[in-house]
Amino acid sequence: MEYMPRALIAEITHRCPLHCVYCSNPLEMQVRQSELPAATWARVFEQAAEMGVLQLHLTGGEPLARRDLTELVAAARGAKLYVNLITSGIGLTAERLGALVAAGLDHLQLSFQDVEEATANDIAGARAHTHKLAVACLIRRHRIAFTVNMVVHRENLDRLEKMIALAEELQADRMEIANVQYYGWALRNRAALLPTRPQLERSLETVSAAQERLKGRMRIDFVVPDYYARYPKPCMGGWGRGMILIDPCGQVLPCHAAGVIPGLQFDNVREHALGWIWQESSAFRRFRGEEWMPEPCRSCDRRSQDFGGCRCQAFLLTGDAAATDPVCTLAPSHGLVEAVVAGVNAGAGAGVATSSPGWVYRADPV
Amino acid sequence: MSRPSAGCVPRLAAGCRFSDAPGQGDMLLVPEGALRLMGVGRKIVERCDGVRTFADIVGELRAEYPALEPARVEEEAAKFLERLHEKRALDF
Ligand code: SF4
Ligand code: SF4
Repeated sequence: MEYMPRALIAEITHRCPLHCVYCSNPLEMQVRQSELPAATWARVFEQAAEMGVLQLHLTGGEPLARRDLTELVAAARGAKLYVNLITSGIGLTAERLGALVAAGLDHLQLSFQDVEEATANDIAGARAHTHKLAVACLIRRHRIAFTVNMVVHRENLDRLEKMIALAEELQADRMEIANVQYYGWALRNRAALLPTRPQLERSLETVSAAQERLKGRMRIDFVVPDYYARYPKPCMGGWGRGMILIDPCGQVLPCHAAGVIPGLQFDNVREHALGWIWQESSAFRRFRGEEWMPEPCRSCDRRSQDFGGCRCQAFLLTGDAAATDPVCTLAPSHGLVEAVVAGVNAGAGAGVATSSPGWVYRADPV
Repeated sequence: MSRPSAGCVPRLAAGCRFSDAPGQGDMLLVPEGALRLMGVGRKIVERCDGVRTFADIVGELRAEYPALEPARVEEEAAKFLERLHEKRALDF
C-alpha cells in the first residue's frame, strides 16, 4: 500500500443541540434514520486498525446525541485504536462520562464557543456555557487527556487572554485555538468572522507569551486563518494520504468538506471494505499524488509540504477544485483572497468588533 | 523550563500510552497523534512507570550502556524527558 491511513474521523451523527455559525458540517445534513448502526461502525474500526490507523476521532454533530456512544468507544478500543471524543459536553453526566472512560476513552476534547456567557450563547444559539464549566470539572476526576478547544474569529479574538486563563483554570492538558475555516456555514458568515490584521497580530503575541509561560503544564496549539498565510495549509496532510472521514450514513470521504466538490463519487462502508475504498475509490484517487496539479504547484518546491493546499477551498473560491489554493500568494487566483482580506481590514482601524452581525445559523437535520 | 530532578518519578501523562495493536508497539499514542519511539528513547519511556525515580532510570541506562560516559547518559535522558514533558506526554 503506497499511502497508509493513520487517522479516522468518524462523524457518527449530524444531530447537535447547538447551531454554531461556523459549523463544518455540510449544508445538507443527514437525518437520524440513515445513521450507521453500532455493529457497522465496529466492523469499520476493525478494518481501519488493520490498515494501520492509530487514531480515531469520534465527532459529529454532537456524538453524545447517540445513545450507543459507549458501545462505539468500547468497540474502537477493542480494535486497539486510540479514542478521541470531540464534544460540546451537552448531554454529558457524571455517569455517562464514567461509562465512556471505563469503555476505553483516551482523550476528551471539549469545545467552547467563548469565555463570556452572553457571547458564547449568541454563537452557539443555546445556553450551553454554564453546563460546560461543570463538565470540565467532571472530566478532571478521570485520568484521561483533556483538551479545551476554542474556536476563534473576529467577534471573540480580542478575548483570547481570558480564554487561555479559562483553559488553565479548568486544568486542561492541551488547548487548541482554531480560527474558523471558511467552508460550509462559515463561508456564508465569512465577512463577519474573518479577523482583522491588527487583531491577528495581537493574538499571535498573546499565544506565544502564554506558550512560554505554560510550558510543561498546558500545551497550546494555534491555527491561524489561512487567508493571512503566505502558503496554504497541507490539507488533511495531503488528499488521500493519511486520513479518512466517514459521515453518519457511511460515506467515505477524503475530507469533511469534500462533498462540496461536484462530480466526486463517495463509496459507502455498507457496500465495500474500508481498505478497498482507501485504495480504489475514485474520490480518494482524484487528488492523490501530484498528477492532477496545475502550475504553479506542479513545479513548485513546496508541493510535497502543502500539496497545493485545500481542494475544497479551491473549488469554493474559484469554481475549480483542481486549481492552486487561492490562499497561496503564488496562485493566479490569489486576488480573490486579497480582496476579502482588504475588505475586512478597510476602516477596521483598531479592529474593534462590531455588535451582532446578521449570523446565518446552522439548521438542524430532522 | 523544568528538568527532571533525581528524585522525581516520571510517568506517562494522562491519555498517553503505547499502542497495543499488532506491529505498532513502538508507537507512543498521545492526543491526536503518535510518536515513534525506538532504541534508547523507547527504553527510557518504558521505564517511566510511576515507580522508578529519574535516578533509578539513569542508573539502569548506565548499566545497559557501559560504554557511554555516565554524565552524558544523564544529560541526554534529562533532555529527552524534558521534551516529552513539554509535549505533555509525560508527567514528573
Ligand atoms: S480539502 Fe480543504 S476542507 Fe477538505 S480537508 Fe483539505 S483543507 Fe480541509
Ligand atoms: S504554488 Fe502550490 S505547491 Fe507552491 S506553495 Fe503555492 S499551493 Fe503550495
